[in-house]
Amino acid sequence: MKHGKLSRLLALVLSCMMLLSACGQPSNESTSSEAPSTSTEQSAETEKPAEDKKSEENKDASEATTYKTELNVAMTANPPTLDVHGVNSNIVGGIGTHIYEPLFAMNQNYEPAAVLADSYTVSEDGKVYTIKLRQGVKFHNGQEMVADDVVASMSRWLELSGKAKALLDGTVFEKVDDYTVTMTLPEAYADVMTVLAASIQFPAIYPKSVIDNASAEGITEYIGTGPYKLAEWKQDQYVHLTKFEEYTQPAGESSGFTGEKLAATPDIFFRVVTDDSTRVAGLQTGQYDIAEEMPQERYQELAGDSNLAFSVKTTGTLNLFFNTTNGIMANQDMRQAIMACLNCDDIMLASYGDPSLYILNPGWCNPDDAMWGSDAGSEYYNQNNIEKAKELLKKAGYNNEEIVLVTTPDYGEMYNATLVVQAELMEAGINAVVESYDFATFMEHRANPDQFSLYITSNRYNLSPVQLSVLTKDWAGLDRPEVDEGIVAIRTAASSEESSAKWDELQSFLYEYGAASVLGHYSGLMATSADVEGFNYFDFPLYWNVKVPA
Amino acid sequence: MISYILKRILSLIPTLFVVSIVVFLVVYMIPGGPATALLGMEATPESIEALNTELGFNRPFFVQYADWFSNVLQGDWGQSYFLQTSVLDAIGEYFGPTLSLAILAQLISLIISVPLGILAAYRRGSIVDVTTVSASLLGIAVPGFLLSMFLMLFFGVYLKWFPVAGYVALQEGLAEHLRYLILPALSLGLVQAAYITRMSRSSMLDVLYMNYIRTARAKGLKEASVVLVYGLKNAAPTILTVIGQSFGGLVTGTIVTETLFNIPGLGMLTMTSITRRDVFVIQGVVLFVTLIYVLVNLVVDILYGFVDPRIQLGRK
Repeated sequence: MKHGKLSRLLALVLSCMMLLSACGQPSNESTSSEAPSTSTEQSAETEKPAEDKKSEENKDASEATTYKTELNVAMTANPPTLDVHGVNSNIVGGIGTHIYEPLFAMNQNYEPAAVLADSYTVSEDGKVYTIKLRQGVKFHNGQEMVADDVVASMSRWLELSGKAKALLDGTVFEKVDDYTVTMTLPEAYADVMTVLAASIQFPAIYPKSVIDNASAEGITEYIGTGPYKLAEWKQDQYVHLTKFEEYTQPAGESSGFTGEKLAATPDIFFRVVTDDSTRVAGLQTGQYDIAEEMPQERYQELAGDSNLAFSVKTTGTLNLFFNTTNGIMANQDMRQAIMACLNCDDIMLASYGDPSLYILNPGWCNPDDAMWGSDAGSEYYNQNNIEKAKELLKKAGYNNEEIVLVTTPDYGEMYNATLVVQAELMEAGINAVVESYDFATFMEHRANPDQFSLYITSNRYNLSPVQLSVLTKDWAGLDRPEVDEGIVAIRTAASSEESSAKWDELQSFLYEYGAASVLGHYSGLMATSADVEGFNYFDFPLYWNVKVPA
Repeated sequence: MISYILKRILSLIPTLFVVSIVVFLVVYMIPGGPATALLGMEATPESIEALNTELGFNRPFFVQYADWFSNVLQGDWGQSYFLQTSVLDAIGEYFGPTLSLAILAQLISLIISVPLGILAAYRRGSIVDVTTVSASLLGIAVPGFLLSMFLMLFFGVYLKWFPVAGYVALQEGLAEHLRYLILPALSLGLVQAAYITRMSRSSMLDVLYMNYIRTARAKGLKEASVVLVYGLKNAAPTILTVIGQSFGGLVTGTIVTETLFNIPGLGMLTMTSITRRDVFVIQGVVLFVTLIYVLVNLVVDILYGFVDPRIQLGRK
């Protein structure tokens, strides 16, 4: 009898759970904050306003396919802001590129191409750029974009972006008429268009009124000209973007950040899912269509799941930076001794978990980049030579001084790499000590040469080597005339070949002087449901042409 | 009774003052300000310095504290630099999910633990008792995150009964609200149930062998009345204390569960605001949590008087 009661009770509890799970299935009109709708559907026909002939031929097939109206993307952190001018953040840039547009951006071949600009001409001395704007481009608030907005936006960007300030200092934007602006440079630079087409912390065009109302903490209205407009930002939960119906398509086929942007799925939810396991589980159950930054150590395991598709893209370098100014670290032989210890394969494996997710190359830029990819200084890279290190230590007069490796566990790859480097240094007899802090504290230590001997960070690729952090005094305190001269030589070279050769020389200097060393090139790992269409993992994951069958 | 409650509330003031000054000092002393977190890894020291100055974080400690304290006295707990809202609004918004989760988890734990505790005590030494004690030991020993992962994988990924993460507000439907909360609530509730079961069992054991229970049986009362009316009522103060502690813990200490299940609650707010050095939010959350703890204990104390009239609060 008692057994019967217990069974009935158990049955009741299970029934309740099943009822809950059934009742709570996503509804057609779900506006819930975290309930990704999987059944809100619309036909493919209504989502493709510009069907071409080829699509017409496939009409029968596409009529049969219905697509979700909500795209759910699991991202790793809450964006600190949606103001792209002032913050160097992948998450801010990744969302921002769907809301805002710049004058110029990179196409799929990494060539600067017009987006909000229509055309431009350059004066004979190379100092004045006259830029014609596209007419009829609307902001999300319904206003038309005109020269006043461009001048205000570009001036603010020049003021807030560290790299813009460093590379285009003294540059002035001025209005000529409502659809024409001029950009006047203090010197003629070969890389101006590359700097303007930056993907991270990019020169988005905001309405002038938004900039006029901005405070020290940034803009408070997030209005751009992009294919999506901000519908809602629920802090620590999601950023909801919705299709901008009055979006004026740029010319040309979709290519990188340029060309056609269809807003193929009307609503995008960027959901903040900080835990790796939760992102994976959510993707496996279909709660999320796309998950950013998958845990690399689980790549092999997850690659076997036929319901998932992976996109791997080499996106940056893991780097070791030396203190070059204080104590024993000011000794070049000491720094060379440390470089001689490094086994980069071990370091990268510990950091990225799978050999297919990194490559070993001494270059500071993308090795596939025809202009900036370089092997210069390779004799100092990945030496794994403990005996040589010991000799150099002797030469440097090393007397068991403490070598402080500063790191943060907030970035797993940086932390793991630091521990491996510590072990390698200890093998050579170096008194290596790891000091681990949370990110904000790490940043304080990193900025002060009195508080570190070396540190490791992962840094995204830059479009031009002159944008590299290693070349700025603020980053690790490197202050050498060779660096400043090298930057000027690269920027003012007469031809691209000459620029490339000058960069080879500067990269060689960085290794020879022992300023810093690349440890390897890492790949970003994105996962999507296998049926996701139109996804482009470019500098950022681009979602404007993504469709997911319902 | 009322004067007792007033005294307890007044005693909060020095507690909150000390807590606030300690937290403010700790946050002030650790390196890295909100500007560092706000501007990202490649921000220049100049831009960080400029923003810190703009936000007022380069001022001396006492100036900052006095400024904050005088604002608090006027009901202004400050602004969050990241959430771009007032601290009180932020706490209000993030407290909702935590409260829902805590109530559901507490209900689950009570449904499981009190009957099991009574049964185990009543059947002392039986297989039911041994199983209950072993299960509750296991429940206490298993780390909460492990249980969370298991529930997520089994009910979310394998059976697909429930979403693995996220939160839906109550206004958008009770069923959907519960569907998103059930796994984290189970995870928290099972751990709490283990603890409450043990305490219920032991307090019932203390009571069930008292003379008045024997007398009640001798009077011919039904066994259910003996256990539930005479036994449970007398064991209730201890069980209530444990439940109060458990609820206080659920409201204030669910950082891991909220992070794993992606629930935008007070735990998540605490963690993210520490990472972001969102000073006023940290201050606000700590004060709020202190307040909640004290209030929960006060409510428990008041309830004592109802379950056991011999306990008269405030009387000497």
